[in-house]
Amino acid sequence: MSESTPAAPSNMVTLTIDGQTVAVPKGTNVLEAARTLGTDISAFCYHPGLSIAACCRQCLVSIEKNPKLQPSCQSAVAEGMVVHTKDPQSTLARKQMLEFTLVNHPIDCPICDKAGECTLQKLYFDHDNANSRVDTPKVHKDKAVDLGPTVVLDQERCILCTRCIRVCDEVAGVHQLEMSQRGDHETLGTAPGAKLDNPYSLNVVDVCPVGALTAKDFRFTMRAWELEATPSICQGCATGCNLEIHHKNERAWRLIPRHNDDVNQYWMCDDGRFTYRDLREERLAVATVGGLPSGWDRALARAGERLAAVLKQSSSLGVVLSATHSNEDNFALAMLAKAWGAGRIFLGARAAVPERADDKLRDADVNPNTAGVNAIAKALGLTLGSGADLEEAVNAGAVHAVVVLGDALNVSEQALARLAEIEVIAIASHERGVVKQAKVALPVAAWAELAGTVTNRKGLVQRMHAAFPPPGQAIPGWEAVVRLAGATGVKFSWTHAREVFKDMTGKVSELSGHTWVREARPLQLRFAGSRG
Amino acid sequence: MSSSHAHDESAEPQKGPKVLAVSPKNPNVRTIQVVRPENADTTFLAATATGLGITIRHFGKNLLLPRKSVEALGQGGAAAHVRFKNDIETIQYPEEKVQYPERYRGLHRLMLRDDGAVRCVACMCCPTVCPAHCITIVPEESSDPSIEKRPAVFEIDELRCVVCGLCVEACPCDAIRMDTAEHAKPVEERWEAVENKASLMGRGIRSTATQGGEGPTWRDKK
Repeated sequence: MSESTPAAPSNMVTLTIDGQTVAVPKGTNVLEAARTLGTDISAFCYHPGLSIAACCRQCLVSIEKNPKLQPSCQSAVAEGMVVHTKDPQSTLARKQMLEFTLVNHPIDCPICDKAGECTLQKLYFDHDNANSRVDTPKVHKDKAVDLGPTVVLDQERCILCTRCIRVCDEVAGVHQLEMSQRGDHETLGTAPGAKLDNPYSLNVVDVCPVGALTAKDFRFTMRAWELEATPSICQGCATGCNLEIHHKNERAWRLIPRHNDDVNQYWMCDDGRFTYRDLREERLAVATVGGLPSGWDRALARAGERLAAVLKQSSSLGVVLSATHSNEDNFALAMLAKAWGAGRIFLGARAAVPERADDKLRDADVNPNTAGVNAIAKALGLTLGSGADLEEAVNAGAVHAVVVLGDALNVSEQALARLAEIEVIAIASHERGVVKQAKVALPVAAWAELAGTVTNRKGLVQRMHAAFPPPGQAIPGWEAVVRLAGATGVKFSWTHAREVFKDMTGKVSELSGHTWVREARPLQLRFAGSRG
Repeated sequence: MSSSHAHDESAEPQKGPKVLAVSPKNPNVRTIQVVRPENADTTFLAATATGLGITIRHFGKNLLLPRKSVEALGQGGAAAHVRFKNDIETIQYPEEKVQYPERYRGLHRLMLRDDGAVRCVACMCCPTVCPAHCITIVPEESSDPSIEKRPAVFEIDELRCVVCGLCVEACPCDAIRMDTAEHAKPVEERWEAVENKASLMGRGIRSTATQGGEGPTWRDKK
């Protein structure tokens, strides 16, 4: 057949949906084909990242030459197929399916955390919007069932779509959730002897189309419609999962995975989701001198004075780049190190956690930008020493002053104590580790507060967007480097992270060809429709 | 729908304000065009004179009517007192107070459950709808699994409140009301105007509304 239509390659199938002709790859289902035309067929159990169950029957459509309505999620496209999604028969069927789904659903939207981003709520207003015709009492099941360390289940709200079971089976690779009983007494629960404790458990909350599964971490803290979403990249490990920061009042409330087929598909691990807590803990909000709050001017004056003395013999100056900071921050500091002629360059990173690695999303390297820093150092001809090298250099007295980006050093307690004795100038977002002992500490923005890029383990350069402003006197890291450079008489002309990035793409071959992605405007979730 | 719409418009005689649209659900709900004449006299002399006229009339009534009324009735007692009260324009506040209309929006109050617990389930509908952002709610998990959610903190800044009543409209469970007919109290410090959960509940009474509406609900006792 495809030979007769030379325009369509042989792996494409042409079909008609609601009178519109569309060509989609062979093996696509009708529901996805309709979505390419902008026709969103309602569905609960279908999720593009999971296997197909076709158990909710919410996506029924009429396909010509079929005697009965077909679930569009399970019907593969065929050449010449004619599909009607808006004809009276299938519209009525979907409306009636929704009514059945609502028979035992406790319409407790006011106290349900999913309200505002609930698929059932959305479909009710899209399809039905009618009063209940059911006058028999609803089936009662258990409420607030503790499934494990992260998730709470409300069995009454569950509409039995089995998405969560498939997430555990197919994404986490463990069978921890199960349906029991039959008919309207069918109940979701943990499999015998199991707890929902896999490292990807919170994905079940995302895929839940209703409020049956709620995250303990987010439960009852914030209503979905009050939040705004800004796209960013997870800083939990080198995988660089794409995520959305859901924030309000200049504070992140939760992290939700964002679809990217090249990195994380639709998923994210629990550890990554909890990294938002770190944005408010132990923050360095004001420039300090000798551990005391001082302000930028005095801190820079003090740093410039000390560095001027050390730079007379620049081989005794150490500079530590950071695998936990963005490419822009690292590039700026690396350029400054070159301008200073610093003797030793090191890589500051969090210690690897081999036991967390798996073949899915979690990586042993818990730094988001190791690949990026290495690429920058290579391109600028700098040799990066490890934490052990830094320890050795400090113990041997080879460095008299160290400029540190970030707070992660991966050195022993003894080396940290030795570092307290020499001149440490820290450029960091958090006041911990080496930053606590720094003679001068310059406050910079954390990952959720800056525009920048990070390079993941596959070498993919991904853009982070600023969700809210940094606390106190903190400024973006590259800007702190520019100020520090000015204090030592080195001039950089960058005025925006975009300019640093542009400069960097010209010098770092791994980044050449990349363009600066425009700033994303926060999306108000009250206009985002349903999620899950 | 469209036919009934047309019927409503044709049945209505074309007088009074111009009808722009009629709700298809309720013909009494309609959008009308209000013609406001251009303000020709920007000195407001005529309006000032009208206003002064009203003031003078009230002054005259206050001065003359009570004695006249009592004399005209010629019997004194309660009936005269009533007449006196009705005729005179000045209210002797605070000894004498105006009876507010039934739907007057006064200070907020939080309604109570039968056991005296707060009825509010911290659904956040009222802070969402509040145009003045004067409501602060911090939810918490209730110890009662059939209630699930309740406010740990419920604060209303009565200085910020614009008394629009949208919070009462938005409330799905008759938890907040503005039917106290009380004014916001005068305060010396701004923070004193912030009503907290205890003070709001202090004015509350047990609500007679059925939780979840009438009829069989998901929380029916078996």
